[in-house]
Amino acid sequence: MKKETIWYLDRRDFLKFAVGAVAGIHCSPMPWWLANDIALWTQNWSWRPSPQKGPVSFINSTCKLCPGACGIKVRLVGNLPVKIEGNPLHPINQGGICPLGAAGLQFLYSPSRIKSPLKRTGERGEGIWQEISWDEAIAELVEKLRDLRTNGNSHTVACIDGQRHGTMSRLWERFLKAYGSPNHIYTPSVEDTYDFTLTLMQGEGNGVGFDLENTRYILSFGCSLIEGWGAPTRMMRAYGAWRGEKLGNRTKIVQVDNRSSITVGKSDEWIPAFPGTEGALALGIAHVIIDEELYDSNFVKNYTYGFDKFKSLVLKEYSPQVVSEKTQVPKDTIIRVAREFATTKPSIALWGRGKGSRPSGFYESMAIHSLNALVGNINRPGGVLIPKGLPLTSWPDVEMDDIGTQGYYMPRVDQSKDLRFPFVAHRLQNMAANIQEETFYPINMLLVYEANPFFSIPDNLSFIQATKKIPFIVSFSSYMDETAMQSDLILPNHTYLERWDDAFTPLGLQYPVLSITRPVIKPIFNTQHTGDIILSVARELGGPVARSLQWHSFKDVLKQNTQGLFHYGKGIVPEAEPKEPWKGLSKESPSLPFASSDEMWNRMVEKGCWYDPAYSFGKWNRIFTTPTKKFEFFVTKLTTLLPKARDEVFLPHYEPITLEGDYPLLLMTYELITLVNDGIGNPPFMTKILDDTLLKKNDVFVEINPKTAKQYGLGEGDYAEIQSIKGKVRVRVHLFEGAMPGIVNIPLGLGHTAYDEYLKGKGVNPNEIISVVKEPVSDLALGWGTGIKLVKV
Amino acid sequence: MRKGGPLFFIVGFFIFSLFGWVMFPKILFLEKTQPIDFSHVAHGEEAGLSCEDCHYFRADGSYAGIPSIDKCMECHEGGTGLEGKAAQEEEKLLEFAEEGKEIPWLIYSRQPDNVYFSHAAHVKMAEIECNTCHGDMGEREHPPIYKKNRLHPYSKQTMAMETCEACHQERGVLNDCFVCHK
Repeated sequence: MKKETIWYLDRRDFLKFAVGAVAGIHCSPMPWWLANDIALWTQNWSWRPSPQKGPVSFINSTCKLCPGACGIKVRLVGNLPVKIEGNPLHPINQGGICPLGAAGLQFLYSPSRIKSPLKRTGERGEGIWQEISWDEAIAELVEKLRDLRTNGNSHTVACIDGQRHGTMSRLWERFLKAYGSPNHIYTPSVEDTYDFTLTLMQGEGNGVGFDLENTRYILSFGCSLIEGWGAPTRMMRAYGAWRGEKLGNRTKIVQVDNRSSITVGKSDEWIPAFPGTEGALALGIAHVIIDEELYDSNFVKNYTYGFDKFKSLVLKEYSPQVVSEKTQVPKDTIIRVAREFATTKPSIALWGRGKGSRPSGFYESMAIHSLNALVGNINRPGGVLIPKGLPLTSWPDVEMDDIGTQGYYMPRVDQSKDLRFPFVAHRLQNMAANIQEETFYPINMLLVYEANPFFSIPDNLSFIQATKKIPFIVSFSSYMDETAMQSDLILPNHTYLERWDDAFTPLGLQYPVLSITRPVIKPIFNTQHTGDIILSVARELGGPVARSLQWHSFKDVLKQNTQGLFHYGKGIVPEAEPKEPWKGLSKESPSLPFASSDEMWNRMVEKGCWYDPAYSFGKWNRIFTTPTKKFEFFVTKLTTLLPKARDEVFLPHYEPITLEGDYPLLLMTYELITLVNDGIGNPPFMTKILDDTLLKKNDVFVEINPKTAKQYGLGEGDYAEIQSIKGKVRVRVHLFEGAMPGIVNIPLGLGHTAYDEYLKGKGVNPNEIISVVKEPVSDLALGWGTGIKLVKV
Repeated sequence: MRKGGPLFFIVGFFIFSLFGWVMFPKILFLEKTQPIDFSHVAHGEEAGLSCEDCHYFRADGSYAGIPSIDKCMECHEGGTGLEGKAAQEEEKLLEFAEEGKEIPWLIYSRQPDNVYFSHAAHVKMAEIECNTCHGDMGEREHPPIYKKNRLHPYSKQTMAMETCEACHQERGVLNDCFVCHK
């Protein structure tokens, strides 16, 4: 029987069909297009970088991230800033930029930006906020200020100001004076140390210049010369200038430091002296210079007072042998360095620990500055100079009514400028202590501008505790920092890339510079310029306060400053890159080429700054304005304050610093150029480049000498607990030959409890366990180190 | 050989290759029209503009590409008295300008963000004619249909990497990654 053939698709046919299909598809463009499309499909990912398109332009402005006042050149594509470079026209940094300045755009887009005015609704520090309008926010501030003033409590308003060198500080001062409060307090800085040292020994302390580019020998007592001290980029430029010289003519850098920092690595000689004994070392060096008669006898004879008393004290008490025992520096080193310092001309002695966010000791500074007087290097090329002041437009007197006068002439809550010690201008620690102990009048309102004291000052937890007694805290921060977290009202400021501002001559520069900061982008959030807020609050308050602050906007205030410069008539608004401005110090400055002050303002805004490098050497009556019109080894200003004290009190001498409690080890804080430790948070770019022997995940490492670590049974990477009288923190150990035995080094700037995921909770904040030591005579709070115990955990 | 022979293979081959050639491109691309029916002829031959009036190199060497609306408004401010269809198109332009918005042109040859493409290097240094890549845009009265790829934000005309590489090879230009992916 013939089988009926029924057509059906069997397995073999199906496979044939499938093979045909695969071959067919591959003979069409489909798979090849899809392969390309996979690559392009990845461009849908939202987190991929997407460059801005548009015309490229540059705007010159000034960095406000530290007091260094570097000129910046912001690159824009379309209207969007995309990169920050150094402004090559600016004399301070001459096109250079530091890592922080280069990371500046991260502040603009930081997730911790505050996007509108906020009012606290939860408990303090809880982080529960209500967004309010600017009208409501300002009305609330004005109402509280008006109430306090009407009740005669205007002096109970205090302002903490983190930016001392700018027109904003002048405006705050003027507002508070008209309002009736003396409490305009700067955050601590080594500048306080410079100010009082110069006030006492030279007569006035309004800025000091170090002619470092022209010097041949630098004896630095702990200054992190190329890691953020002074104006950081200027110092890096100066370092380049020193090292650019031919061998044999190079400036020698001798670094006295308790740890082997980058500055130490880049210097010619490292002298590890036990921290706190730097003053003794300076006096030991002075001993050798005086004993061997290496000092500048002409200068000492004609321009100093009290040399004989200083000489007999130093010769009697500070022989190299004695000093060597105190400082752990070999006797021979002291003698050799003293000889080098006195015979190399010009030479300079510098003081101010680290970047200078902490004041140095009172007698320590005097002892070190005495070395400059001994070698006669004050008011001379390559030495310590007093830069001319900025010839800004002077403002009319503040109009004072009875309430204002009464409030303004009350003693300051930080007891600065009081009779007991009138020479230290700002003592924030005292404010906290006085509020806590209620020994003074209470503070009813605290205004915080461009500062984050709740994080950055030593023993910050006691400070926060004390501020709990302040009923109303207002923060003007652009970021949700520790201080803003604890405040009641936040009036967010524009960032420095969105606002008008300026910067005065930075610390240590030889000549005056006025740098202009201008907006490079429209404010990206609902923020307002704090300067404009001060002006509108003054208008609302009315009366003498309004009449004393009649500017329409803060930009007008800046513009008016230029009139002073215009009438002064000299100096340079740079057209071309400055050629080593420090070489032109003794030359006359050119006249300004402008027809009007408006024209000058426009040019300054375009180019970024005005400066006047001319310096008049000689003119000693400008430099020494003490009662004796001389440099005073023996400080006569103190004799009237302390009539019964022994001679030593008025002379530079060494006083050992006694730390609280009985602790076997010393914890020393140190500062890095890649880690911000003051008013702002470290940007992610910089946190990313911290070594993993400093920060690994969320653990911070402390540096310990292997010998010390062995005593405590600690090895590399071990966890340990640091205990001080103030508290304890958990750290990891990094064995480091560059740490002195008996000392534990910890970086400042980590351990934030505020900000964003890139910073919060990383490392620990050593300020929390630092016990502040007060110097007996100056009442100055020293917070660079503390006694500790180390326990392996 | 059993029944059927290569028939099933041929059928499979034919259907799928037809799908790949005809259907797939229709599915893959979304056809879009430009926000304004822009005529290059009207601007070039009739209004007497040269290509460089709108598509120019900036002073710093970067290429302006498609002009911003400000450029359009240099001539069209307040209208130019056009009639008919052209007037309708101009009205759209004036509306964008009034709202302060840029015209959302669909850019046929836009390169992905991960490629660094410099017009200066190709046009000025290698002296490649514009129409080598862009076709005869200047002679068009209507813009071509924009074919957006459904899988990503680029068009059919977006150059694929192999096109770049082939031309580079032909001209003896390096094909190292870093030449284009900066």
